Amino acid sequence: LCRGGLAERLCRLQNRERSAISFWRHQCLSDDKIPSDKSSVLIVRILEIVEECTIQVAICQQLDQSPATLSPEDAVINAEEPILKVLFTRETAAHLKSRPQDVIHIYPPWQKLLLQNADVPVIMNTYFSQKVLCSEHSEAREKTYGLTKMLIRKNIISLAQTFRLDDVDDKLHQESSDNQVPCAPQTHNNGDSKRHPSALSAVNDSLLEMVESQGAVGWREVQVQVIIQRVYCLPAREGYRSHTQGNKPLCAAPVTNSDPPNVRLCLLVQDAYGMFSEVQLQSLSSTDDIEQYCRRWEGKSCCLAGMKILQRTTRGRALGLFSLIDSLWPPVVPVKVPGQSQDSEMMTTNLPPPSFCYILTVQSGEIHVEVDEEEQISNLYQPPAVHGLKEILWTDGCNKRCSFWAQVLYQRLQTKHSVPTDQREMLLFVTDSTLQNVVHGIPKVVAVSVTASCVLSMEIMEALSAGSRLVFFKDALWGNGRIICVERTVLLLQKPLLCSAAGADLSELTGPVRLDELDSTTQASSVCALRGTVVGVNESTAFSWPTCNRCGNGKLEVCPQDRELLYCNQCSEVVTTPVLKMQLEVFLSCPSRSQGTVKVKVWHEITLFVLLTRLLFLQTYEVQSVLGKEVGLLNCYIHSITSHPNCVVLEEIVLL
Amino acid sequence: STLPAVAEELLREIKKAFQETSQVPDDLLLGLKFIFGPTAVPALDLVDQRSVTRVRSPSGRILYQVLGSSGKLYTCYSSCHFCTCPAFGFSVLQKSESLLCKHILAVYLSQALGACQELAVSEEQLTNILLAEEEDEG
Repeated sequence: LCRGGLAERLCRLQNRERSAISFWRHQCLSDDKIPSDKSSVLIVRILEIVEECTIQVAICQQLDQSPATLSPEDAVINAEEPILKVLFTRETAAHLKSRPQDVIHIYPPWQKLLLQNADVPVIMNTYFSQKVLCSEHSEAREKTYGLTKMLIRKNIISLAQTFRLDDVDDKLHQESSDNQVPCAPQTHNNGDSKRHPSALSAVNDSLLEMVESQGAVGWREVQVQVIIQRVYCLPAREGYRSHTQGNKPLCAAPVTNSDPPNVRLCLLVQDAYGMFSEVQLQSLSSTDDIEQYCRRWEGKSCCLAGMKILQRTTRGRALGLFSLIDSLWPPVVPVKVPGQSQDSEMMTTNLPPPSFCYILTVQSGEIHVEVDEEEQISNLYQPPAVHGLKEILWTDGCNKRCSFWAQVLYQRLQTKHSVPTDQREMLLFVTDSTLQNVVHGIPKVVAVSVTASCVLSMEIMEALSAGSRLVFFKDALWGNGRIICVERTVLLLQKPLLCSAAGADLSELTGPVRLDELDSTTQASSVCALRGTVVGVNESTAFSWPTCNRCGNGKLEVCPQDRELLYCNQCSEVVTTPVLKMQLEVFLSCPSRSQGTVKVKVWHEITLFVLLTRLLFLQTYEVQSVLGKEVGLLNCYIHSITSHPNCVVLEEIVLL
Repeated sequence: STLPAVAEELLREIKKAFQETSQVPDDLLLGLKFIFGPTAVPALDLVDQRSVTRVRSPSGRILYQVLGSSGKLYTCYSSCHFCTCPAFGFSVLQKSESLLCKHILAVYLSQALGACQELAVSEEQLTNILLAEEEDEG
């Protein structure tokens, strides 16, 4: 149960009530005397009983005084006496064993409810009820009680009878508003200038308070002051994540290529109490602004107003979000403790990391986020801690966020034709001076996997294709020996102004980049350098084939109209400049991989207009001319490696 | 029948009290317990967790989706009392022992306390949600 929630409160109240009931019943049994306070005791005579959903509805007559004082002849229904409907729970009814003509004393705290369209008041909370017996008839009546119970009519409630909680006025008001109708009636004019803080109520500093006051009168004007720890983009599908639990996502329509990039700008904010919240702002039309927003907003304080709660998420459900929160914990300055006075603050050393986080979003219409860009960076801000790649690779642990500044050497898109472009995964091969300068023990180049959930700006994409670039990876995820860029990771072209360097050597690389040579520890999906001597060529497996230069489709067809041209089915167009792929098995003797000869399957791409001079032998197919030739040092991407047979499938690549 | 009118009035009082004081008084909470029995606390818990979403299509069709404690999503109609959860099938339909299941009660309470999340979807998406439930039953 939520701490401080309504459910918890009712549990407590109910436990107290139950104790009171059993105590009272016990007292009634042991002590015949009716408890002294007679003034608020309700005395009723039951006329008729009906059962509805295990609740007994007793239509009763209210009596002024106990009928024990009246003679049996007076027990006539007096039309003047007021009629009540008294409700008993199943348990109370079983205890009372009441039937028509019984007289019941109902002790406080009972509740009276007046219904809108009915004259008969309803009495509830009748746990403390006692039947008053007229002694002459008691025995006989008890015996026939069972029969009476069977005769109590059971009313089946129609499902069509729904509850109307609005008054007519409210309904009209709601229908006249826009599409997104809030549940509470709108009594505030949205046209009020929310941008002027002076017009709004005092600024709060607690996110939890703001969240808990949701729905209350005036909550829309409540402002909360927070600081922005991180700015990032999330794919828009994440916005509906709260409803993708269970079997089916709410929005079944996939994102198509033609749609504008469906990303939302998000902020991870923290309040003065150390509590975090993720605020999802508007959809961005272009992802190029993300670097600007990061620069201008991170570390600054901002005011949130009129937020809507999208979800309350917990550590178990949102591992990605919490790995980011953990990287910002503990806070670098002492935070406030809820409930204590403003001045007393708490040291942060022993605070446990947060276990829940609210995800907020803006109401439709105005954006209620004001960032004070001119203000100084807050003390609570924790800039990303930049480490050298060597240090990161040697870190223990799993699912830790890390930031680094590295040179991207090679980019590989894992495109499968069946997967839409927005779900592409990409491998970036990166290095920095900490990796390049080491002789043994760690790789010189590391593969960073970029998943589809990591939003990349067009700027970054273009820069990566254009040439070798230094890229700042902010809040990538490290674990299981891999670095991956997931949602909330941001790739930037410029190092942020503020970042704690933690002693890392962020100097530029001097000299050419070196790759590890192919050896026994080389793995698939990595890059390496290759050198060796050709000791044999497997002519029987050599062949070449044209591929589409647009999509890479290897199954081109001859054009029906013009048999000299090739046609690609996937692009539905003629291929004017096909890329010729060749496969050749070459046996190399590589000094770095010492188990005999290595059979190297070379997949090579040559466009018809470019000739690569390094692998001369592929031009001529003359085996004699290539035997004994030295090959290398080539940069290659390893497709696969098997040890039995000792075979490496690789492709020569060009580093950025 | 009396009970529905009583339940409705109780929920209206809760809504009124909450709008005026942004709190729900103890006696109304106990009233919920009295009328709805063991359904009351689980329903309030669903409200505390903000599990109820009001889904609306452009034509004005409304349905409610409640994220149950097991992570399963239940659909409740707005025009009649209906929920896709097993408790509704058993306690309400079969045994007529309960007026509502905890999900439907959570929908009403969320309305009263302004705790509904709002979601606007297309006609097609709304249809898919409704028809998808049928596939599940079959």
